[in-house]
Amino acid sequence: MQWLDALIQGVLLGGMYAQYALGMALMFGVMRIVNISHGDLVILLSLIGISLASAFGLGPLPVLVALVPLAVLIGFVLQKTVLNRVVGNDPLPSLIATFGLSIALQNLMLQIWSANSRSLPGYGLESRSIEIGGIYIGLLPVIVLAVATGLTWGLDLMLKRTRFGRALRAAAADVEAAAMTGIDPRAVYALATAAAVGILGFAAVFQALRSTVAPADGPAQLIYAFEAVIIGGMGSVWGAFIGSMVLGISQAIGFRIDPGFGVLAGHIVFLFVLATRPQGLFGRA
Amino acid sequence: MTMTAVPFADAGLPAVRVQRQTPSGRIALTLALAALVALVAMPWWASTGTIRWILELCCYLAVAQMWNLLAGYAGLVSVGQQAFMGAAGYALFVLAQTYGINPFLAVFLSLLVPAVLAVPTYFLLHRLEGPYFSIGTWVVAEVFRLVSTNLPLVNSGAGMSLRVMKDYSAFERNVAMSLLCATLLLVTLGGSYWLLRSRFGLALIAMRDNPVAAASQGVQVGRLRFLIYVAAAVGCGLAGAIYFMAQLRITPGSAFDPMWANLAIFIVMVGGIGSIEGVLIGTLIFFVADRWFGEYGASYFVVLGLMTLAVALYARTGIWGAIARRWDAPWFPIGRRLIDPQQGTKGETR
Amino acid sequence: MSAVLSTHGLVARYGDFQALYGVDTELGAGECVALIGANGAGKSTFLRAVMGLLPVAREMVRLDGEPVGGTAPDRMVQKGVAIVPEGRRLFTGMSVEDNLRVAIDQAARAAGKAGARAGGKGGWTLKRVHDLFPILAEKARTPVQSLSGGQQQMVAIGRALLCQPRVLLCDEISLGLAPKVIREIYAALPEIRAAGTAVILVEQDVGLAQSASDRLYCMLEGRVTLAGKSAEISRAQIGEAYFGVGHAVA
Ligand SMILES: Nc1ncnc2c1ncn2[C@@H]1O[C@H](COP(=O)(O)OP(=O)(O)OP(=O)(O)O)[C@@H](O)[C@H]1O
Ligand SMILES: [Mg+2]
Repeated sequence: MQWLDALIQGVLLGGMYAQYALGMALMFGVMRIVNISHGDLVILLSLIGISLASAFGLGPLPVLVALVPLAVLIGFVLQKTVLNRVVGNDPLPSLIATFGLSIALQNLMLQIWSANSRSLPGYGLESRSIEIGGIYIGLLPVIVLAVATGLTWGLDLMLKRTRFGRALRAAAADVEAAAMTGIDPRAVYALATAAAVGILGFAAVFQALRSTVAPADGPAQLIYAFEAVIIGGMGSVWGAFIGSMVLGISQAIGFRIDPGFGVLAGHIVFLFVLATRPQGLFGRA
Repeated sequence: MTMTAVPFADAGLPAVRVQRQTPSGRIALTLALAALVALVAMPWWASTGTIRWILELCCYLAVAQMWNLLAGYAGLVSVGQQAFMGAAGYALFVLAQTYGINPFLAVFLSLLVPAVLAVPTYFLLHRLEGPYFSIGTWVVAEVFRLVSTNLPLVNSGAGMSLRVMKDYSAFERNVAMSLLCATLLLVTLGGSYWLLRSRFGLALIAMRDNPVAAASQGVQVGRLRFLIYVAAAVGCGLAGAIYFMAQLRITPGSAFDPMWANLAIFIVMVGGIGSIEGVLIGTLIFFVADRWFGEYGASYFVVLGLMTLAVALYARTGIWGAIARRWDAPWFPIGRRLIDPQQGTKGETR
Repeated sequence: MSAVLSTHGLVARYGDFQALYGVDTELGAGECVALIGANGAGKSTFLRAVMGLLPVAREMVRLDGEPVGGTAPDRMVQKGVAIVPEGRRLFTGMSVEDNLRVAIDQAARAAGKAGARAGGKGGWTLKRVHDLFPILAEKARTPVQSLSGGQQQMVAIGRALLCQPRVLLCDEISLGLAPKVIREIYAALPEIRAAGTAVILVEQDVGLAQSASDRLYCMLEGRVTLAGKSAEISRAQIGEAYFGVGHAVA
């Protein structure tokens, strides 16, 4: 019973991680870039959302409606001003650029919002739960998981069915050939990053509702997103989704064994997958 | 100092010489030796406080140069070298404090730990492509931190103190610290210079410029990367052991502090990646900035972050790159120049 | 005859290595010109430079008299130049149909943006490409990496045609294919030209190049060493231009 509960909590936690991991999988798949400030952007958006909510007395839904377009805009600007200058075969420039950005963002947030942990008032949403056969399941985590599933499904469909999705996959397969077919890679990249950061708008709201956020929390989110992507297997959005579930379950079960062991258990499962199946659970060998 | 120019004796060819040292290089090498002597002599001219900050400076130099070797030559962008610093630091504390081994001997024994840990770490992480490798190194550092937080052998999250150091007088400690600083620089900076001038040097530089082409010309890129990774782990380990010996205390948070990655990246990128000169310049800038502006805390780090970003966007070769474009006067020449006695410099490999 | 595409002293380099030393060529509307030369002569470099994949000066390439050198490849496509690149460069992991659709999407986007299309009047549709190469209809859902070489080449040609080009650049489309497949692919040429598309054919097979083209350029070490009507050039002339015999003596 206790383990079934851990399993369910893990899956629900995975829903949160999936919202970070999707954007990272998308950006890496298309540009071979990892944005080190990925997690810091979530925190930044969360803190902006919290400030908006307290300044205008907004509920979670209006905050979400405000944050997602803002996130899309941030992603677009990030690509145009920074990432388009550093995409290429050498991973160093993009790593260093986003690393510097990450440090700057973390400390900027520290100055604006101080080091305190904050959260977004959910007006009771965060404490509601459903009881199924003796196991209490929070309503909010279920919503998070549902949104994550919807985002994954939508992203997958977009990649497979739309004009933009085909252009994205073409650019991911061979940028030069894509350009020779009439695709402007920089425009595609800008939209890809806009979509990736846009998803972080959802993550930001749910992270701030589910638990607390503080300016220094970004790196941990980056690492969870990364582990989820690698566990699931690079290059597929459903891989990132499943990877998030595996990571969530590992952490939840680890936590039941010993509260100090939760995060570590996730890392260990990640290293184990890397050792035994480096292409990830869903990756092509 | 001996002449490093050797005659090039090949029948039929014009009498060219391969020159491996330059006037600027000779001056720099002389200064470096003088600095090393000054370092060893610190107990006789510097206060304990001065020795402390010079030791910190030496650790910055060492860690930055190890990162430079990894990212600038081997193409391995690590953001988790603190894993090996902390591992060696903890090993020192356990050996000296728990098992009573002489701490100055334990510093060197503790290097076995990063060396041994680096091997499986590399074999796991090298499977990750480019930027994912970097995040992987960070995860490993986090794993080390979490393990030490849960490990009773190292007193778990509470950390350890190096009380055995009280058995030595302040002067004895100063002598030891000075010698360790000198050793650290000799091993990391001197070792790198030696490596780059050795027969591995050309392979390393070829690998830096184009790993694919280097591999096609017989450079064993994979093996070389592995060796550099282990060497850098040991170098960082030595810096960590010395640093924490001076601190007298170690906790999981301080041992595996990502600050070290920030610092190394800032120093090397601003100073100039792929050169020892860049590391010296970058360390000096960082050290001065840290003393002067460190009190501004967060705003200071915002500026550091933005500077790192700006270098990546607009000036990939950093300050030394800009200088080297203007003046051809390397402090630590690693190339070979062909000298034709009649015409002066003919060609160069860098 | 007004040239649709022309190059004027085209120079291109890869870092320190200069690959083209002032190449002058001309392609008339609806014309088919062959470009031959030994390995490393600079044929692919020429096409890449024209396509905007290598940095070249503006005046070095003209399209309808307008200087376009160094224009980004995606803009060149919009202006009506398409390429069947060396090595095919298909989008691996995507199906045959999706590979073709990428070109259709972009052509439609450009048409929407420009109002009337600046490109050719080819009017290439998925159906016409399928008529040209029926096997592509059959394999529409197959991932391109599991096609045979000839089939992959057909996808590459189809993809370029769906960019609706007025000028089609083909880089060694016969390379590594069986004679029967080569004939099949070359059989599509008249149909392509019937739509008014001018073609530059880079070929290793001199006989094939000569018979398929109106005019012919021969390149050697980054320079044009011979130009003339394909039907009038003799084998001896080609041999000399190809291997640079004359140059070596002089
Ligand atoms: N990416 C590159 N970097 C450096 N040099 C290159 C590059 N591509 C081609 N070259 C050089 O440019 C010259 C011309 O090459 P190019 O590919 O244009 O020849 P080609 O005529 O197409 O030959 P082939 O028949 O083999 O395709 C060659 O000497 C080649 O080595
Ligand atoms: Mg070619």
